[in-house]
Amino acid sequence: MLYIYLGIILFLIIFILWNMFEEKDILAQIDAALVLVPLVLRLLLIK
Amino acid sequence: MTIKKIKASKTTAALLQFCAVLCIFLLSQQFLSMREPEMIYKGPGVTAVKMLSEYYSDIAGTAADTEVYVLKGEKPGPSMLVLGGTHPNEPSGFLAAILLIENVKPKEGTLYVVPRTNNSAFTCTDPQEGEPMRFTIETDNGPRWFRFGSRATNPVHQWPDPEIYIHASSGQRLSGSETRNINRSYPGRTDGTFTEKISFGVSEMIRKEGINITVDLHEASPEYPTINAIVAHEDAMELASQALINMQIEGMDISLEPSPKNLHGLTHRELGDYTDTLAVLMETSNPSQGRLRGRTDESLVVNGIDKFYEMADEYGRLYVPFDEKGHPIQERVARHITGIAQLASAYSELGLGGSLVIDGIPTYMDIAEGGLGSYLAHKQ
Repeated sequence: MLYIYLGIILFLIIFILWNMFEEKDILAQIDAALVLVPLVLRLLLIK
Repeated sequence: MTIKKIKASKTTAALLQFCAVLCIFLLSQQFLSMREPEMIYKGPGVTAVKMLSEYYSDIAGTAADTEVYVLKGEKPGPSMLVLGGTHPNEPSGFLAAILLIENVKPKEGTLYVVPRTNNSAFTCTDPQEGEPMRFTIETDNGPRWFRFGSRATNPVHQWPDPEIYIHASSGQRLSGSETRNINRSYPGRTDGTFTEKISFGVSEMIRKEGINITVDLHEASPEYPTINAIVAHEDAMELASQALINMQIEGMDISLEPSPKNLHGLTHRELGDYTDTLAVLMETSNPSQGRLRGRTDESLVVNGIDKFYEMADEYGRLYVPFDEKGHPIQERVARHITGIAQLASAYSELGLGGSLVIDGIPTYMDIAEGGLGSYLAHKQ
């Protein structure tokens, strides 16, 4: 179950990173950067 | 110039991603520091330090494994297990366990002390509670820090939570987050969750060592009805009653409550039902975990002073008296230590099978009147 959950997180992170380069609104880019922080911490099983 | 006027580009995306990585790095340092345990020093009575995995090997090498301090007396006799750190956001039980490890010496019988029963829960704090990651006690050898953790297993070690937690042996249904609460997971099982494996390890230790008395040390918020109390399994009621009378004779305000038969997963219910131990649980008053508290910081954890609880007391909303002196940690540790001493003494007085004689246990007054620091001043 944990690995499925981590797989979903990895999937989201990849799409967020890709979307940041396509995004034309700076506020949406900042939002995306903020969202990355907890997701990466969870993917690395730090928090 | 507003932020909105900055044109988003691949360069801004890369810069923001760099900032995110920097934040992740800095936060990681802080969160990973929670995995650093404080030192516990072996006192004169410690004869061996085992790991819980010696009783249940599946947890070896995981965050579920935890130290078991064995204090074996010179003469054989009954044995007592003290569980500290079941809930690491209830620090007096953890400190009482450390105080025992570092100070006492059984003369007859054996004392087993597990200071960090849910070791995983010491590696995080509860979300959205604003709790400190550690607290400091002033000792005779200078300040000494201790970890303040979470009520439940770190989600890093057990995730995701189910919508509803079903207790395995009873079918009791609780909210999903209780699946990581070790004191809802007893007696545990081998094919269960990370938390259920820890409680199975504790149950196995009690069975294999034939432990006679088990004392689980807790704290509760001042507005919670079960407070300043001993909760006892029906088999332990005689023992707890005798200890309670002795504590009340000493002037301590404490009550005795029977373990509810329909509340499952707790030590005082399941260890009594599934092992031969006499299971009791003790509660003291801890404002740092209450819902009515103000700022949650080290001072609240250690000094137990909170103006909102003083107001709540004036309105008659609490189950313990609460004045400007609050409920400092030395008072809460003193209550636990006195309870342990009286339970050991009651076991002998009632003639339940030999004498459990423990030397070096400080009295309530020794600790409560500012002496906690001298008992936690490591001698090495």
